[in-house]
Amino acid sequence: MVLLVIAAELLFVLLILALLTRAPYGVLAHPALYVDTRSDWRQAQERAEALLRDLLSPDEYDRLLRRGYLELPSRLHPNWVYRVPRHQGQVKVFEGDTPVLALCVQSVEPIPDADAVIMHKLMIEGDEETYLRVANRFEPTLYGFIAIRPRARV
Amino acid sequence: MASMRILSARGDTAVEWDAAKFTEGDPEARAAVAEAERLFQELKAKGATAFTVRPGRPAERLDVFDPLAEQIVIVPRVAGG
Repeated sequence: MVLLVIAAELLFVLLILALLTRAPYGVLAHPALYVDTRSDWRQAQERAEALLRDLLSPDEYDRLLRRGYLELPSRLHPNWVYRVPRHQGQVKVFEGDTPVLALCVQSVEPIPDADAVIMHKLMIEGDEETYLRVANRFEPTLYGFIAIRPRARV
Repeated sequence: MASMRILSARGDTAVEWDAAKFTEGDPEARAAVAEAERLFQELKAKGATAFTVRPGRPAERLDVFDPLAEQIVIVPRVAGG
């Protein structure tokens, strides 16, 4: 009787395993798929990093690595300096040492961090009006940055 | 070599052509420029923005494809985050 129960439990476990390996997402059936995706993403990050190094001067690239952000002067607002973060996030606007705004602009397509730095740099230098129009804005307060306008799209 | 780099989830894709040969009317260079221009129009229609990039100078927005630009970088459509 005991052997019968153990056999039934074993069969039940085998049945569950069989069902799991037929999962619609194929997670258990094709583990290599996820590894390939991560590998592709790593290659994309490496390509993006190479392009970033190519587009920045050695000084700019070195400062970006050391400080964690790239400083870009504004053409429209003479006192503004944008700080573009090394990793994707809000771009802070400073007047001297004082933060005056935080801006959130992102690509609708996921892109590597280095490509995001390039995106901010090119938009700020070459199309600052659109950049500011599209950006969701956050104002500094005692409690951090608070949103001051709804999101918009180009 | 002139080039157009397209930022995407795959890092970036590059299309290259020889601007000097293009001005001389070389058929291979003309074909490469035609392909780059087709991609340029297609991506612009999807909301992407193109910029010309030159060393030591700020980027400039590019509304019309320029086969003589040294380097063009195309940024995908952006939105407020």
